[in-house]
Amino acid sequence: MSDKNITVPVNIDEQAVANQTRRSFLRKSVAVAGGAVVAAVAANQASAAAQVTEPLAIPPTNKILGRGVVSIPYGLPSKFEAHVVRRNVEWLTPDTIASISFTPMQDLEGIITPSGLHFERHHGGAVDIDPKTHRLVVHGLVEKPMIFTIEDLKRFPQKSGFWFLECPANGAMEWNGVQMDSVQFTHGMVSCTEWVGVSLLDIMKAVGVKKEATWFFGEGADGAALQRSVPLPGAKDQFGKPISDFDANTIYKDIIVAYAQNGEALRPENGYPIRLIVPGCEANMSVKWLRRLKFVDKPLVTYQETRHYTDGMKDGRFRQYTLVNETNSVVTFPCPDKKMSGKGSYEIRGLAWSGRGKIKAVDVSVDGGKTWTEAKLVDPVFSKCFTRFTLPWEWDGKEALVMSRAMDETGYVQPTLKQLIDERGTSGIYHKNSIQTWKVSANGEVHNVQLRSL
Amino acid sequence: MFNSEVSKSAFGKSVLAAALFAVSSFAFAADANGIGKTITEQAIAPWNISVHFDGDGLPAGKGSVAQGEPIYQAKCAMCHGEFGEGAKGYPKMLGETVEHMTELAKKGEDTVGVRGINSLWGHAPTLYDYIRRAMPFFAPQSLSNDEAYATTCYVLYIAEIVKDDKLVCDASVLKATKMPSQDNFYTDPRPDVKNARCMKDCAKGDPVVTQMAVQGVSGDTSRNVAKPANH
Repeated sequence: MSDKNITVPVNIDEQAVANQTRRSFLRKSVAVAGGAVVAAVAANQASAAAQVTEPLAIPPTNKILGRGVVSIPYGLPSKFEAHVVRRNVEWLTPDTIASISFTPMQDLEGIITPSGLHFERHHGGAVDIDPKTHRLVVHGLVEKPMIFTIEDLKRFPQKSGFWFLECPANGAMEWNGVQMDSVQFTHGMVSCTEWVGVSLLDIMKAVGVKKEATWFFGEGADGAALQRSVPLPGAKDQFGKPISDFDANTIYKDIIVAYAQNGEALRPENGYPIRLIVPGCEANMSVKWLRRLKFVDKPLVTYQETRHYTDGMKDGRFRQYTLVNETNSVVTFPCPDKKMSGKGSYEIRGLAWSGRGKIKAVDVSVDGGKTWTEAKLVDPVFSKCFTRFTLPWEWDGKEALVMSRAMDETGYVQPTLKQLIDERGTSGIYHKNSIQTWKVSANGEVHNVQLRSL
Repeated sequence: MFNSEVSKSAFGKSVLAAALFAVSSFAFAADANGIGKTITEQAIAPWNISVHFDGDGLPAGKGSVAQGEPIYQAKCAMCHGEFGEGAKGYPKMLGETVEHMTELAKKGEDTVGVRGINSLWGHAPTLYDYIRRAMPFFAPQSLSNDEAYATTCYVLYIAEIVKDDKLVCDASVLKATKMPSQDNFYTDPRPDVKNARCMKDCAKGDPVVTQMAVQGVSGDTSRNVAKPANH
């Protein structure tokens, strides 16, 4: 608790506060000690010299009885948090069935995305599946083709992890210039969750995967019956060229068939009752509503691996099996959705993640990339997981260009947009993991800008 | 110990099968005794509908361009266009040719909106796979195998990939049909860019800020959907 004098509304009735003029509001301000009430709406707009002098009103909630237990059997966020929701972009997709919604990055704290705020990406809409009738079939190049109930799967040893899932189209609207003046829309195709389920390795062991198997694919029980090929050691593409060592030899080891997220069953939009989780990779590979795993000796090159999720390059060719989401980061405060309120002390906060392992360092710049300062990484720091970074900032009230640049444990440093465009062009759609710049104006507004000079 | 880690060195070698079935000496080892049931391929068959790029998995049956036309016009044209030109924001069947799309890409022009089956789809068998499993959008898995062949055949025709309007498509025809973009793919070479972790004096001169709101949104997230910035 600090001893600084701050202003608080004397009457917590929101409408009354809203109706006050700034002058009458300040007249009613009173002196208090204690930093816990920093939420005071206009505190920072008052001059630093303003002092709270009027005795505090007793909050009406001190004088009533609240709700009893289980009046809301499954707890929900406060009604005052109703603005914290997933959102979609109407013009991005022709319907909301094969579409995407965005996580409100600006409102996330810590490293876990609440299940109800996890971004959604459906190709045939979200379906409701009865776990009693749902089955997982595992077959192909195996000694023993098998079928499992959900109860069967829960008898296997549990494997869990804190892993992000990111649609590789995260940021895709920004290749040709600034479009989305909101961190929810520039970066909200990513979420981070504690996933719980069965190790793929245990399932492979149970069915006896044959040594000829160099790929497997998962398939969903939704209207898209979505399928994606995942490499195993020895994997080669359809031209006979090997998949990279990292992709073929490490990705599969982390994979689970998940039945739980953040302490409870999967949400329907996230694949209830079971889904594949392929940590670090394009979320499209983490097939939802999973009904089948087939072990094979070649990729499918299915719709999701040719027409979509291939990256158009500046020479006209398309990259395929761009599986890993490379190191990325974004400042979530300040951001266009969370503006500044007067000069003084702040903490710059943000999230970083890498599909190749742990985040090693995050650097922050407030001068458009001329100078950088290493931020603090907030524990815990897990592999292929959101990592929270913070840096104290004394804002002088002048224009600033705020950026973050993450580095992962492989030494890969998050690139600039110019570096990506110089290498790939602007028609790639996917894997735009470049450094994001927010322009903070003297009036405290924050906007999305691009620095093409870097 | 849970003997679940299949090591890189063991994988792909003859010891793999043995490793997978290794019985641990620990009483609490993770085996799968009594978990799940075995299942015959015959029982799996209704779900085993995946088709590989080389045609592996294509079923028996056939369908012609002529048979595909009424199916496409009734069930597909409202989204993909009467002539495959796309509609209402849904994908084109007939986009720019690979050659023209490549020219656009080399000129630095956007190619996202011009893609069709003719410009970006590697293999005809997986076109069949996708149509059978996921189309028509509003009624997936409602086409018979023959109807899926006919629809695939018609789409190949209106996408100008096959020229013969008398064509009858079956497994062998789809396997033999070379898609224009088949060789236009290559496997991920990333990491492809290398940024340095510079800490000071990193940028020369003042940063050039560009703001090019083309079709963007405002920062107003009071609504549940984004709205265009340019209004």
